Amino acid sequence: MEVRKGSSQDPNSAKYKLNQIAAKAYSDAQAAKERGEKVGWCASNFPVELPETLGIPVCYPENQAAGIAARGQGEKLCSIAEDEGYSNDICAYARISLAYAKIKDEPAQNMPMPDFMLCCNNICSCMTKWYENLSKELGIPLIMIDIPFNPDNEVSRDEIEYVKAQFLDAVRQLEEITGKKWSDERFREVMANSCRTSRAWLEATALAAARPSPFNGFDLLNHMAVMVTARGKPEAAEAMELLAKEYRENIENGESTFRAEEKYRIMFEGIACWPWLRVTSTGLKSRGINMVSTIYADAFGFIYDDFDGMIEAYCKVPNAINLETARDKRIRLCNAIGVDGLLVHTNRSCKLWSGFMPEMSRQIGEACDIPVVSFDGDQADPRNFSEAQYDTRVQGLTEIMESRKAGA
Amino acid sequence: MELREILEAFRAADPAKMKERYLAEGKKIVLTAPVYTPEEIVHSMGLVPMGVWGADTLLERSKRYFPAFICSIAQSIVELGMRGTYDGASAIVIPSLCDSLKVLGQNWKYAVPSIPFVPMTYPQNRANEAGRAFAKAGYLRVIRDLEAATGAKFSTDALANSLKVYNEHNAVMRRFAREAGKYAAVSAYDRSAVFKSAFFMLKEEHTALVKELLAALEGTEPASGPSVVTTGILADSPALLGKLDELGLRIAADDVAAESRQYRTDAPETGDPLDALAAKFAAMGDCSVLLDPSKHRAAMLVDTVRGTGASGLLLLLTKFCDPEEFDLVIIKKACAEAGIPFLSVELDRQMVNFGQAETMLEAFCERLD
Repeated sequence: MEVRKGSSQDPNSAKYKLNQIAAKAYSDAQAAKERGEKVGWCASNFPVELPETLGIPVCYPENQAAGIAARGQGEKLCSIAEDEGYSNDICAYARISLAYAKIKDEPAQNMPMPDFMLCCNNICSCMTKWYENLSKELGIPLIMIDIPFNPDNEVSRDEIEYVKAQFLDAVRQLEEITGKKWSDERFREVMANSCRTSRAWLEATALAAARPSPFNGFDLLNHMAVMVTARGKPEAAEAMELLAKEYRENIENGESTFRAEEKYRIMFEGIACWPWLRVTSTGLKSRGINMVSTIYADAFGFIYDDFDGMIEAYCKVPNAINLETARDKRIRLCNAIGVDGLLVHTNRSCKLWSGFMPEMSRQIGEACDIPVVSFDGDQADPRNFSEAQYDTRVQGLTEIMESRKAGA
Repeated sequence: MELREILEAFRAADPAKMKERYLAEGKKIVLTAPVYTPEEIVHSMGLVPMGVWGADTLLERSKRYFPAFICSIAQSIVELGMRGTYDGASAIVIPSLCDSLKVLGQNWKYAVPSIPFVPMTYPQNRANEAGRAFAKAGYLRVIRDLEAATGAKFSTDALANSLKVYNEHNAVMRRFAREAGKYAAVSAYDRSAVFKSAFFMLKEEHTALVKELLAALEGTEPASGPSVVTTGILADSPALLGKLDELGLRIAADDVAAESRQYRTDAPETGDPLDALAAKFAAMGDCSVLLDPSKHRAAMLVDTVRGTGASGLLLLLTKFCDPEEFDLVIIKKACAEAGIPFLSVELDRQMVNFGQAETMLEAFCERLD
């Protein structure tokens, strides 16, 4: 069989390399566990530079839950958690993760059981409760980095000092648990890798500004796994740089991984509906709509120069910032990339992300002069999504974009 | 006043009337949203703190801002704000200890722009020097914002005095919580009214009235029948309280955020008063919105049920409150291990049909017998 250049089967392609890195994150952690090393479960926006510098293997429950949901097992695990007494109102990632901690085997995405938990609540307060429960149920220590929601436009010195003390304390706790030692020299290497990976990621995602975009925005949802699990590793930096290179080549050659005519370009707001990825993707592609922008581009773009800069970067992740800062980030993205509409996923699992989205998306729509349409869904529980509603809403958005183009 | 009149006074502490009274006296009102809002600071600046925990009301206007799955406390606060119920207030202080409260603060700015939003940011890692320093920075921020919004001035001497006023109120409320279940005269509804009225009255007035109640209760008929410990965020649903009274189920103690949870810790009355306030927050715990990795709250509840001789634990689950939903599972297990009857009842502020909850409470009551 011929392997198409740039496809996931081409071992020289970025896609192949990125898939390998994401898979290796799990196999490395499993191998470490089998060697008798202590392994952690880690929140996606925890400063991974800390365990990476210490050489401590970690796995990412959010990434695992997304994988399980994308492979059709979300409902099964959610139901197991509900049988334990967890409300179906709770975030589906948390339900899947708590269920996995109980059954300890799910072929859709296994990972080694943890010896400690690394929690950072900069993405939501739900994270704190989820990790508290895992820590209690599994009887293992919880290392907690508290990064509060920032009501202001800038990160204050007080916040930096508070978070810095916790970063240092987390390092001390990790040294105690694992016996490994912090090295400033190693930290500088990890920081350089993380920034290099982030720069390449931001460059690659920004190339969507080309018309047509050199890629299908749904590609980013896959590649994001590497940004979550491996951004401090040199191979991740190399693969992301290769991705940016491929996208540049696509622009030069007039090619794209979006295999349809790009009639409309939209920003997609919210976490993907992992159980309905194909349906949500096809619903757009069949209408010639490419998702050229998401806040994920910014979410994992950690660029900084030193330890304090790293702290500030983690204080500014998308869900830790006020409405105005969050809005302006999106307006900048919409304007830089050029979009015709905004499709908002009102995500039943994410109270924080969805809770002020109606107001924020109204303001973005007005500022960018684009139509805004929302649909109800869920990042991992398939029961909270209606294909018919999605189709109707996307059709509505398409018609508005079409009539605006016709009138332009 | 006679006992009946005192109890009536708590029931009559209507927030709208109290607001008009304070405004007519020339006082400025600052709204304090859940939870652990630093009322002492507001009080020390000569302003009247009035608690806002929403209301049992239909949500209409607030739907413009919230998806349906956000807790109805947050949603109904905005609903009332948009309807003009809080008109006349000079500011609202909203802490960000859970995701719904974060969202409430952000939406408030656009939904009710006439009443300035003052954020209070608390640390979760609160019991060390860095945490206390961050809590203090949060208080200083509240002070700056309140000075700007109201024109009132802050002084540490005045705060030191307010800490004493609040500590005395805490002590009186702790005593009331211990005593209320022992007397036949105090219904579940009355018990709730005593706690709820504290949000609408200056603490000096409330302390005096609760002291009067406690004195009037002495020597009255003791209560009989089974008792429970209640836990949750809110327990003011008239339908729920009426059912507890109908079943003769007394409340031996509570761990309800809008009731006793806020009165558990005092501020030290020595040293810098802002440091004292941060120390008070650092000492708080056993709460679903405060970091609790060992889930000590579950053990505390088991101890409370045993210590008060209550027959069971009743968890009143505010719908869409995920901090409580996570704790519920651990608390339920702890009760099962301790052989304590446990019931959770889901409540929200839009509840029109209480039938299912009533049936569950009846069955629970039979288990207690």
